[in-house]
Amino acid sequence: MVQTKKQKYLFLAFCLVPTFILFAVFTLYPLISGLYYSFFSWSGSAANREFVGVSNYVRLFNDGIIPRTIMHDYFLVVTKVFGIMILSMYFAVAIMQMKLKEAPFYRIIFFFPNIMSVVVIGILWTFIYNPSLGLVNSALEAIGLENWTRPWLGSETWALPSLVLPSVWAGIGLFMLMLMGGIGTISKSYYEAAELDGASEWQQFWKVTVPLLWPQIKVSILYIVITTLNGSFIIVQIMTGGGPNNSTHVMGSYLYQQAFQQYNFGYGATIGVMILVISLLTVFILQKLLRREKVDY
Amino acid sequence: MKRSWKKLFTVAFSAGLMAGTLAACGGNDETGGEENNGGNNNAVNNGSDANNNADDNANANADAGGDGEVSGELEIQYFVGGYGDSWWKEVISDFQEQYPDVTIVEHAGPNINDEMRSRWVSDNPPDVVYIDGAGSSETQMVEDGQLMNLTEWLQEVETADGNMLADSFIVDPATYDGEIYSLPLVFDTWGTWYNRANFEEQGYEVPTGFDSWMSTMGEIQDNEGIAPFVTTGQHPYYFLRGVLTPAFGAAGGDELLADIVTGAEGVWERDEVVAQMEKVAEMQEAGYIYDGFGAYNHTQSQMNFLLGDHSFIPVGFWLPNEMANDVPDGFEFGFIPSPIQDEGEPYAIVPDLRPLAIAENAENPEAAKAFVQFVFTQEYATLFSEHTGAIMNLEGVDLSENENVPPYLIEANAMINDPDQVQIYHRPHPMSADLETPIGDALIALMLGNSSVEEFTERAEAATADYRGE
Repeated sequence: MVQTKKQKYLFLAFCLVPTFILFAVFTLYPLISGLYYSFFSWSGSAANREFVGVSNYVRLFNDGIIPRTIMHDYFLVVTKVFGIMILSMYFAVAIMQMKLKEAPFYRIIFFFPNIMSVVVIGILWTFIYNPSLGLVNSALEAIGLENWTRPWLGSETWALPSLVLPSVWAGIGLFMLMLMGGIGTISKSYYEAAELDGASEWQQFWKVTVPLLWPQIKVSILYIVITTLNGSFIIVQIMTGGGPNNSTHVMGSYLYQQAFQQYNFGYGATIGVMILVISLLTVFILQKLLRREKVDY
Repeated sequence: MKRSWKKLFTVAFSAGLMAGTLAACGGNDETGGEENNGGNNNAVNNGSDANNNADDNANANADAGGDGEVSGELEIQYFVGGYGDSWWKEVISDFQEQYPDVTIVEHAGPNINDEMRSRWVSDNPPDVVYIDGAGSSETQMVEDGQLMNLTEWLQEVETADGNMLADSFIVDPATYDGEIYSLPLVFDTWGTWYNRANFEEQGYEVPTGFDSWMSTMGEIQDNEGIAPFVTTGQHPYYFLRGVLTPAFGAAGGDELLADIVTGAEGVWERDEVVAQMEKVAEMQEAGYIYDGFGAYNHTQSQMNFLLGDHSFIPVGFWLPNEMANDVPDGFEFGFIPSPIQDEGEPYAIVPDLRPLAIAENAENPEAAKAFVQFVFTQEYATLFSEHTGAIMNLEGVDLSENENVPPYLIEANAMINDPDQVQIYHRPHPMSADLETPIGDALIALMLGNSSVEEFTERAEAATADYRGE
């Protein structure tokens, strides 16, 4: 039976309208109301609020902690992108191409942190870093490196770098699976041809695997960047609360502190708008940087 | 045809967007009806109708207004933290017995302040609120106009014991420009805890002032090889309220405390304030402050103290009750007001009061007032100490012979009531989070040895300038 145009559009509307309504309620409305509240002085815990124009934005530009939170976010972005991509790529290639018998076992082991809540991961690693009872300092002592022991999360210098390890650990599994999926689609014949031409395994990796895997790599990098800019809040909030002395505050945790602990909800909303703008800009620039010609052998 | 469909889509999309927006806005303004915010919302029922609706309430309120009878629905919000909720349960059930026409709805739990936030935002608050715990701020609630002005009512109300309520408090209610919005229920005070059993065994001297504190900490450091002092770095206000506030009280009295909480210009540069900060720097330089405290939350710091990793910790009276399940064998709680005052001076205490208040927009203010009046009696004050190991803010409660009260509390109570030993200072109201947070950050840097007293003073002054809006 041939569909009339009307039926076709009715079907389209049937599919799209509910989705759009949900999108409007749960994404657009919060987005717009966040922007709206950023023009108010509001404690967030009472009904009365006062319109203050752009004064929250003026405050944002004069707030000495804001540049530090942005720096901390980008520190986490860069370290996580390199940490997660290098390790997940290594494990994916190792499991897929070295024909290990235990491959499924490793796949489960590496994916395991992904099924744990980030909150649980944060608490777990807080214990691992505990200066007196923790695994890290105990291990350093056991191998005779007492001088290296320190209160990792309690030090203004070491707290932020210490957050990288749990974040990377928690992220490897998902991207490893994504890259493994990509590697699985690369035809074996390319490697055979490369081998016949005398390419070493290292050359095969750079000339065959990486170019053909580029779409997955690009998506992984973008995904890590976006989730870090929007989500590193959780691990910071659980493990250090942004301290000591603001040395680990990221934009999200500072937003939380302002909105819910200092009762400056309007200013918190302003920080939220800043996070949105920064995330969009970053993704836009990254899209440009990561653009490659599609490779087809 | 195609174009008209496009138009239709645009209209539909816009309508969807508007409907979503309106629906969400409507949620904000919704009032009355039953409440479903999660948490422990237990309706204590008098046997009549548990599902009182808004109409019933209105009638009940009209009745109450007419002949002074107390009835209708009474909503009580209380935070459950270190003090537990057994005292509340008992008081509420007694109140229910006395006022059988009242239906009481309890909103209680450790996260109740967050859970009830939407009710306060939508101007549909509970009638009575006990302000305590994370996510609550008396100062903020007063600034937002959420609490009822009780100044006049307090002048005429008597307690069930027959005394004027206004004259019965150990510490008078906080005032905001001379007006009273809350009644201090729990007399909490921060002080420094130590392991009495360990001190007796090792022969350490319990400090009586800053010099003896330093020498005891030195002895402990030499003897046990530990950093004697710990606190939580995630919540710098523990040190601020527990150690520095009494230090400022001892050094400059109520006047200095008032200038500190209101962020008076130049207050952190005054000699007596700088002298206290020098003491903190001295503790840090001697290595007495544990250098790993920076990331500890309050439970971790309390746990490490109980395990004997450290000997002193500044916490409020809730510590023994909160950590009751984790106390190792042979550990015995000892409490002194933080010994940071100059040697020879009495200890200083600055009460930290947890108040009970009535919402400005309470739907049943008569019942709310009846409840508040009901709570402040000798009987419930004694019961409070038995249940929680802390003190209720009511004068004349004799705990000395009470077997149900822990020994540290009897001792602390006697000490607090002896002006030769302890001097009590007052601040007009708690410090606002907007001032306390940046000062706390600067304090952490000082306590970690990453900044000097001068740098601290500069940052603290900048924070007060911000707070004053300069």
